[in-house]
Amino acid sequence: MNMNAQVPVTVLTGFLGAGKTTLLNRILTEQHGRRYAVIVNEFGEEGIDNDLVVDVDEEVFEMNNGCICCTVRGDLIRILSGLMKRADKLDAIIVETTGLADPAPVAQTFFVDQEVADHTKLDAIVTIVDAVHLELQLDEHHEAEEQIAFADVVLLNKTDLVDPAILGRVEARIKKINPYAKIRRTTSCTLPLDEILGLDAFSLDRITEFEPDFLESDHDHEHDDDITSISLTSETALDYDKFEEWFSTLLRTRGQNILRSKGILDFQGMEKRYVFQGVHMLMDGSPMDDWPTGGRRASKIVFIGRDLESMRLQEGFDACKVA
Amino acid sequence: MLKGQKRENMPTDSKVNGIHHRTGAPVVNASTIGEVIAVTSGDGVLRLFQADRDSLAFAIHEGVILSMARESRSWLTGGEDGRFLRVSMEGEVEEIASFGSKWVDCVAADGEHFACSSGKMVYVWSPDRSQPELLEHQSTIGGLAFNTKRKQLAASHYGGVTIWTRRGNRWTKSVLAYKGYHSSVTFSPDGKFVVSTMQENAVHGWRLSDSADFAMSPYPAKINSIAWAGNNPYLVTSGANEVVCWPFKGKDGPMGKYPICVAERKQIVSCVEGFPNVNALLAGFHDGTVVLTEIKHESIPVVLRDAKDVEVTAIAVTETGSDLLIGDAEGEILWFKMQ
Repeated sequence: MNMNAQVPVTVLTGFLGAGKTTLLNRILTEQHGRRYAVIVNEFGEEGIDNDLVVDVDEEVFEMNNGCICCTVRGDLIRILSGLMKRADKLDAIIVETTGLADPAPVAQTFFVDQEVADHTKLDAIVTIVDAVHLELQLDEHHEAEEQIAFADVVLLNKTDLVDPAILGRVEARIKKINPYAKIRRTTSCTLPLDEILGLDAFSLDRITEFEPDFLESDHDHEHDDDITSISLTSETALDYDKFEEWFSTLLRTRGQNILRSKGILDFQGMEKRYVFQGVHMLMDGSPMDDWPTGGRRASKIVFIGRDLESMRLQEGFDACKVA
Repeated sequence: MLKGQKRENMPTDSKVNGIHHRTGAPVVNASTIGEVIAVTSGDGVLRLFQADRDSLAFAIHEGVILSMARESRSWLTGGEDGRFLRVSMEGEVEEIASFGSKWVDCVAADGEHFACSSGKMVYVWSPDRSQPELLEHQSTIGGLAFNTKRKQLAASHYGGVTIWTRRGNRWTKSVLAYKGYHSSVTFSPDGKFVVSTMQENAVHGWRLSDSADFAMSPYPAKINSIAWAGNNPYLVTSGANEVVCWPFKGKDGPMGKYPICVAERKQIVSCVEGFPNVNALLAGFHDGTVVLTEIKHESIPVVLRDAKDVEVTAIAVTETGSDLLIGDAEGEILWFKMQ
């Protein structure tokens, strides 16, 4: 038994009625031979009774470290620390958030707390949306938009209850907010569990694997007040010092509006691909593996957030290119 | 024999002066009453150790025993199973309360009252009442401690520490506010100061007479273990690659004073405990090393246990200082006779 291995944590978000409880019940009752602990909040849709279910009150704490949007889930730090003392090894932990929750504090907990990061790792954020009600929810609650913006996987559920034209429109709307999330159409959340668990979407060395066309694709962005995404690419190598200066200032001053960022960068004089991943003002990056031999070296960076147009991202990024 | 009790015949091997027990579940806490040391683990088992006797094991909780405190002749425990228990020195278990699917995060006792917390609520039992009193807080409780000198109970939480003072037959509240999450709390032995550990790698303190507060920081890691030790007394703390010892003598405590730092190593200290009756402390490290050292500048630590790449999670000493117990995150317990 290796007690040092990090236990993967999957975050399950979605509005009330989208199907979170249905999915959790499946995870707990299906014969998969694995041990999953589930952390649920007190406003859950209906009770789930199981000895591997931990009932918590969602508590978002501001860190007293001068970082204004640095919030963490205090209850999660406490519960994860407790679960790590168990005698039996867990295969995964699933955290259900309340319907209107902002996923950022959950994700930031894994960046901020060293012990949480030592013993567990954020696997992926899975957002369940209700195909029938999503359009209305997006118009009325900014949280619905944020939950999609943060997602690595979106389960577009209850597809049997809407006609194909509406489904297409809903899916287009999801893609507009977050073109990088994988969309899975389901009825009653029926899909193989390995499509939502064990994705390793937050691991730096999986960024390229998780998104195979990450370096190839280029998504247009829309101009409005909603959450959008921008991707920037460069065939010219970047200057590390210039990038560091621009990017850290950007996150510090505009991080509140940048929900997620990730990138693969080609720095002049660095043999390996530099990979990073960020949530608001926090980011984690390092040189990972070698560039594929014979393949082209290029940099790509993507942002999902609000008001991205005003950040002059293209201009800032271009200024980092080696002259 | 009581339910769940068993005399242990675990695989052991004797090292120099030491007996090793392998339990298979992370050791969470250890606590001394006289010459007996109780150890709690992540599998719900409480074990009793005593010199020259077999250890006794009692399966008392389902899952992790999260918290533990001593009374005069018994221990209080709180578990992941939502139960708040009292365990006598003979291993008799009494269930005081049960909170279902909510964890019992903290427990405390002062000889007269006893208390536990579950979520934001603290439940306090007093000798003149059959039912517990409920004290509500703004967020989940991180730590609970009684001040025996002043009939006070401290509960730490997000945004500070709440001090409950017993006046007549009720608890009155005052809040010591300081931004951030306060994960544990303790009173100085003279009852004049209250100290909390924080999520932000710091220790925060208040003088109770005037609420003057002071920050003891920065530390490179979170402080998971603090203890009162030595003749000053010192608040000794984990969270750095040496034990930082803050002097609490006099009316100003550590305000305007430098700490004494002892037992410096490359690794971070994970567990600290005072050594009874002398000016010394025990420190356990993230790599499993345990040292004994005097609390003075340039003291030379004695290594009691070598590194084994597993974090030390509990240290306790019998009241006479004759025997020592070390527990780690892989469930090994070492019983050690001091020379």
